[in-house]
Amino acid sequence: MLSIKESVGETLSTPSPALETSDIQATVLRPRPKPYCGEYVILRIGNAEQGREMLRRILPYVAPADEWWVPSLPGWLGIAFTFEGLKALGVPQASLGSFPIEFRQGMAARAAILHDFGANAPANWEYPFGTPDAHVALAIYAQNNQDLQKVLDLARKSHHDLPQISVVYRMQFGELPEGRNPFGFKDGLHNPHVEGSGLAGAGQEASIKPGEFVMGYPDERGETANVPIPAELRRNGTFVAVRKFHMDVAAFRRYLRAQASSPEEEELIAAKMVGRWRSGAPLVLAPDRDDPALGTDGNRNNDFSYADDMKGLKCPFSSHIRRVNPRDALKNDIVAVDLHHFLRRGTNYGPPLPEGVLEDDGAERGGVFLLIGAYLHRQFEFIQSQWVTDGNFISHGTEQDPLIGNNEGDGIFTIPKRPVRRRLQGLPRFVTVRGGEYCFMPGLRALRWIARLGDDAEQTAAR
Amino acid sequence: MAPQTLTRPKQNQTVEDKVQQLRRLYADAPQYAKTALENSLGELTSFGSKPRARVESAGRTGSRQGKVSELTMIAPFAPGGAARLRALLQLRDGSFDDTDRVGTVHDMRFVFLDNDTKLLFATAYDGEWDPYIDDFATKITDQMDVIFSACEGWPGIRSPKVKDWIVKYQITAEGWYVAHPDLTVRDISHVKRIGKAAEEFLDKIG
Repeated sequence: MLSIKESVGETLSTPSPALETSDIQATVLRPRPKPYCGEYVILRIGNAEQGREMLRRILPYVAPADEWWVPSLPGWLGIAFTFEGLKALGVPQASLGSFPIEFRQGMAARAAILHDFGANAPANWEYPFGTPDAHVALAIYAQNNQDLQKVLDLARKSHHDLPQISVVYRMQFGELPEGRNPFGFKDGLHNPHVEGSGLAGAGQEASIKPGEFVMGYPDERGETANVPIPAELRRNGTFVAVRKFHMDVAAFRRYLRAQASSPEEEELIAAKMVGRWRSGAPLVLAPDRDDPALGTDGNRNNDFSYADDMKGLKCPFSSHIRRVNPRDALKNDIVAVDLHHFLRRGTNYGPPLPEGVLEDDGAERGGVFLLIGAYLHRQFEFIQSQWVTDGNFISHGTEQDPLIGNNEGDGIFTIPKRPVRRRLQGLPRFVTVRGGEYCFMPGLRALRWIARLGDDAEQTAAR
Repeated sequence: MAPQTLTRPKQNQTVEDKVQQLRRLYADAPQYAKTALENSLGELTSFGSKPRARVESAGRTGSRQGKVSELTMIAPFAPGGAARLRALLQLRDGSFDDTDRVGTVHDMRFVFLDNDTKLLFATAYDGEWDPYIDDFATKITDQMDVIFSACEGWPGIRSPKVKDWIVKYQITAEGWYVAHPDLTVRDISHVKRIGKAAEEFLDKIG
């Protein structure tokens, strides 16, 4: 019998060229500032020339990855475009048609693949998500509100006298106490290590080829993305799946209370669902109780594998972090795990629900995630359809992610245990999709290419 | 994914219409076939009104029932391809450990047609192959290429053209029966493990 290749990397030997960090947007490669606050803005472009004028004015303020630690601005500005947005800017047809089908269709049209049914269906999304009115997405991060206002002012001045540019959406986000997410877990913990990005990886974790996350470099298949055309447009660009989630913190607490007979057991069940304790300590390294020192130690809290937990007795197969990033857990299957990563830039919004409160206060709270990668289809869409909203890959039937799955009150969650496993029943939906878009986040030179589009656009595209 | 029925009847065709159409089509058939039709109609119409599992399309071509999809393909052999594939299958002698490891394939059959000029490949599998094509290309490159290089124009599993090549030769089945459309290969393995453990438990207490 022919042998099965153990890793993707084995077939590749060429080292990756250094990333052009001065041309790649900071949002792609750098973690958010700490502490952080910020705002997402969505613009609609009613006139191509005015759209390009707006772009020309805002361009000097778009943060490149190399200036991230010495920002020339008091904040960070990222910019990305939906397919409708690129059309509205006058990107030539030859370029538009060369984009991958999932991007051209948009996230809402992919609902069946993404399992966005029921309350998560695009029909229930906030305006302008999933409509042809969402064109340009701005992500603005700062360390305090004063700085944020300065950057917002610059963004405003880029279009305040352009009547065909309208602000169709704004939302603020900000850090919760102790860097936790609304459910009370330390967040922003894991991201794959991008080879050549200038950041150090954690412990035994593998480096992922930069072409998985930025176009213009070799990827894990040993290839370099060849669409969209022309090369000037795609070089140092990438794709972003934007997802806005509402988190029902009260429902999560009530569910834990109903399933457990003690506060300690509530914490254990919560940790089993996530795969980490609230401090961030991974279950694989701290199976029995939380270890806050481990949770806060950035050198150790991602330095683990599932090799010693292949039965899931420490960290359940179905836990959130083991699904979304299986590491070596699927090494005996025909799955090339390194083809299915994304960079995750998450931000929280809304006030925290006070400790101990079990009834919903009606406040909007949750997270907005920018899930970044060069191949939406085999990265975000694969993870969402095969690993988050299905259980077959771990022999769990139709069981979904206990935390972010699209459960409708009849979800189950399996916790491997000796002598017999425990299965929780009746999981409700803890996280609801409020909206989403697929965006293209170009490099800085590509932004200038778009801004220059005009009379000679067709010739440029045909090159 | 638009629902696609097995026989593609005209829209809003009632069971009564379908029966009328069948009787017309069977009018030219031998008498025993006509009798057989009349004897079967009672049973056929009783489940015809409430389908057991909805038949949908699987990706671009092929159909899907519940969790199971079918792929049927007829592709011309490359020169010498039939001999190569026959020898390869004989060496394997029914052994498909690599396919076991894929974990989503119910069955596969390789049938040589028209004096070894065409390959009929038919398989039932779980979910969709499209999301996993890059995984196959990476993890079982040789296992795929050594088989399908027997066919004319096979671009190689790593080629971006491979999806189009498959779809080009794929034919959607007009009829298809699945005993357990709600069970994947992994579900079946799981049920077998649980069943064995339950029998052992019953043996001990019985």
